[in-house]
Amino acid sequence: MAYKRQFYPGTTVPAVNRRRYLDPSQNLKKLREVAMDDVVRILGHRQPGEEYKSIHPPLEEANEPDCPIRQLVTPLEGAKKGDRVRYVQFTDSVYFAPISPYQRAWMYLSRYRGIDTGTLSGRQIIEMRERDLEVIAKEFIENETFDPALTGIRGATVHGHACRLDENGLMFDAWQRYEWDAKKGEVVYVKDQVALPLDKRISVGKPDSMENLKKRTTIFRADGVDMRDDKEVTMYGLRIHKLRTLAGFQPFAMKGE
Amino acid sequence: MQNTSNSARNYAGEPLPELKIFPNRLLKADTTEALLSGIYSIPQVRQINVHGETLPAKVKSGPHTGIPVNHPERRVIRYGDQEILLTMMVGAIFVELKDYDSVDEALEGIKKVCDELLPFGYTLDVGRYSKFRPSLNDHLKSRC
Repeated sequence: MAYKRQFYPGTTVPAVNRRRYLDPSQNLKKLREVAMDDVVRILGHRQPGEEYKSIHPPLEEANEPDCPIRQLVTPLEGAKKGDRVRYVQFTDSVYFAPISPYQRAWMYLSRYRGIDTGTLSGRQIIEMRERDLEVIAKEFIENETFDPALTGIRGATVHGHACRLDENGLMFDAWQRYEWDAKKGEVVYVKDQVALPLDKRISVGKPDSMENLKKRTTIFRADGVDMRDDKEVTMYGLRIHKLRTLAGFQPFAMKGE
Repeated sequence: MQNTSNSARNYAGEPLPELKIFPNRLLKADTTEALLSGIYSIPQVRQINVHGETLPAKVKSGPHTGIPVNHPERRVIRYGDQEILLTMMVGAIFVELKDYDSVDEALEGIKKVCDELLPFGYTLDVGRYSKFRPSLNDHLKSRC
């Protein structure tokens, strides 16, 4: 029987969401529209319309050696053109953000190729060829893994993911890269991801209600869905813990498990 | 911690009762100003200290190190006859009272102020949360 890929156990809302985000056959819902030029402005790596800087000649001109791996792997557009590797970093609040950094890593690696990603407690960086990065950044600002109030685009000084929200319901940001537009009820970016003021205000839309966010999140919380309430998820965690404790990096060596 | 008094820390030398106000949200400067004004108008209050998330004046890391942040919540606030530069989004307020006998009366007054200004909820506890006499560190930093 052919192996059927599995993604995540469990029946509770966060478990089902995790499974859906990880499964590349599931399309993520697009919730908002942000212009590509505005995404480029927020990323801050180049000006909109500016040529991409390159770090090596296009592969077509590069006289690549005869290598089976090179023949096997189709390069990304950015790699073909010799783009620089640039980054985008998302910060996710612990207050029921649609996704959390660890699941971001799983999701990125499950859905995309040509990325390097790193997980920290509150943030998740993606490093990638510049033109491909811009496409992915736009996708992740527009889709359901992003909430304007609880997800931040922060290149540095990301502190705030575990802080209480402010009075407008926004995640704390010491550099105030985005602000609350009370008239429109929207979150507006006024600085790029490394705090350089933008020459225009970029709206990323209205935050979702806390009630809806609890249905969209992948975060288990005692005041939401407790992980211990999902028996399958708990058993999966315990099993990994047991195998790691007893067999280290050779879980297959355990007999009867 | 930010002492709302402009002078050096004002230790009582004895563990006077303290009230801890812990809002469910980080407070804006406007709310902090109104809250401190309300609390300061209560006669049993001896001193207020606030805790919160620091708002730096300048960017301290990344490619634009040194440029101003210009955070709108970092500004001078006024309460009573005092004014201070608020450098944080306030997340906890510690109110030291003048004596033990005034706890119930002060609690009632502070609860009334908080109910009015903190509609998103808060917790209010009585205890002792900070030091009440100078420590060695204060002597070394010439804060007393």
